[in-house]
Amino acid sequence: MRPFDHLTLMQFCWSTLSILGFSIRVNLKGWKIFLIALGGGLTWAFYLIFLYFSKSLLFSIFFSVFLVCTYSEVVARLSKIPVSVFVTCVIIPLVPGRNLYYAMQAYIAGNSAVASENLYKVLLISGTIALAIAVVSSVTNIIFRLKDRF
Amino acid sequence: MKRITLSETIEISMEIGKILLQNGSTANRVELMMCKVCKIFGYPQTEAFVTPTGIFLTVSDGKENITTSIKRIENRKTDLGKITKISHLVNEMEKQYCRDGLCMWDADKFRDELRHIENERAWPEWFTIFCGGLTSGCFCLLFGGSWLEFAVAYIVGVLVSLSLKLLGNLRLNSFLTHIVGAALIVVFAKVLDIWVPYIKLDNIIIGGIMLLVPGLSFVNAIRDAMSGDLVSGTARGIEAIMLAIAIAAGSGIMLKLFELWGM
Repeated sequence: MRPFDHLTLMQFCWSTLSILGFSIRVNLKGWKIFLIALGGGLTWAFYLIFLYFSKSLLFSIFFSVFLVCTYSEVVARLSKIPVSVFVTCVIIPLVPGRNLYYAMQAYIAGNSAVASENLYKVLLISGTIALAIAVVSSVTNIIFRLKDRF
Repeated sequence: MKRITLSETIEISMEIGKILLQNGSTANRVELMMCKVCKIFGYPQTEAFVTPTGIFLTVSDGKENITTSIKRIENRKTDLGKITKISHLVNEMEKQYCRDGLCMWDADKFRDELRHIENERAWPEWFTIFCGGLTSGCFCLLFGGSWLEFAVAYIVGVLVSLSLKLLGNLRLNSFLTHIVGAALIVVFAKVLDIWVPYIKLDNIIIGGIMLLVPGLSFVNAIRDAMSGDLVSGTARGIEAIMLAIAIAAGSGIMLKLFELWGM
C-alpha cells in the first residue's frame, strides 16, 4: 500500500467513522464530535504513512500518537473540551485489541510462540502509546508554566 | 447577590466531584475542579484528595469553622459528555454568575442544574446502540474485512451494545461485564457464521472487541501518573490490565467451547 493512494484514504474514512460512532456511544454531543472523529482518522492515517516510510511498528505508533496528541491539545483548548476526553477518543484505533485476540487464539490452538509474540506486541504497543501521551502532556505543562512565568 | 454557606459549598462541590469521577475523569482534574468551585464561592482555603473510589474534601472559611467530608464512589461508567458539561458549568460560574464569593444564583439553582446534568441523556438509547454497531463494523473494515464481513460485524456490534446495556441493569462489576461481553461477541459471530457463507471470523470478533477495550482507564492511568497522583494512577493501570485479561478470558473460553463442540 503506497502512502497517498485511495486505499489510505478509505482507511482514513473508516477510522473516522468508527471514532464518530465511539464518541456518540460515550454520549458526546454537538459539532465537536466531528473534530474528535477527524482526530481518530488522522491517527490511523499518520500510522499508515509512517509505517510505509520507516517499516518500524513502534516508531510509527509513537509518532502518530505524538502528532495526534499535539493536535488534540490545540483543538481541545480552542473548542473548550477537556483534553483528556479528546485524547481518550482519539487513540482508540491504535489500542492493541487485535494483538490481544490473536494471542488468545494462538494460545488456545497450542501455538505458544505466536501467542507470546502477540502478547509481547500488546505490551510494547501500549507502553509506546503511554510514552507518547506522557511526553506530550508533560511538554504542554512546561509550556503553560513558562507562559505564566513570563 | 447572595453568599453561599460553608455546608452548601461542600455539598455542591462534592456533587460536582462525584459526577466527574463516576463518569471517568482523571483524579487531578476532579481535585482542580472542586478547589475551583470552592474558590468561586469564596472559600479559597481548600484541600481535596481524590482516589478512583472516594473523595475527601476539607474546606475552611478562614476563621474558626473547618469542615471535612468524605464520599464513597460506586458504579463508575464512561460518559464523557457529562464531564464536558460540568466543565462548561464551572467555567460559566467563574466568568458570569459569581464575583468575589457573591453569587447571582442561590444553592437550590445550582442543585437543580447539577440534577439536570446528571439525568440528561445526550442521545436516545437506540441511537447509541446503532452507533456501537457502526464502530464495530468500521473497525472490521479497518483491519481488512470485506463488505459482507462489515454487515455481520455491524449486527454483532448492535447485539453486543444491546446486551451490555441490559447487563448494566443487573449491576454486575465491570470485570464480569467485560467477560460476558467478550464471550457474547464470540457467540454472536459464530452463530451468524452458520447462515452467512464465505466470511472470516477474525476481523468480526476484533471489531467487536474494540468496543470493549479499556481505552479510558488506560489514558487516565497515564495522565494521573504523569500529574503525580500515584494512588489513582496505579489503581487505574491495574484496572486496565484486569479488563484486558477479562476480555481475553471471555473470548478465549467461548472459542475453546466452540472448538470442543466442533464448530
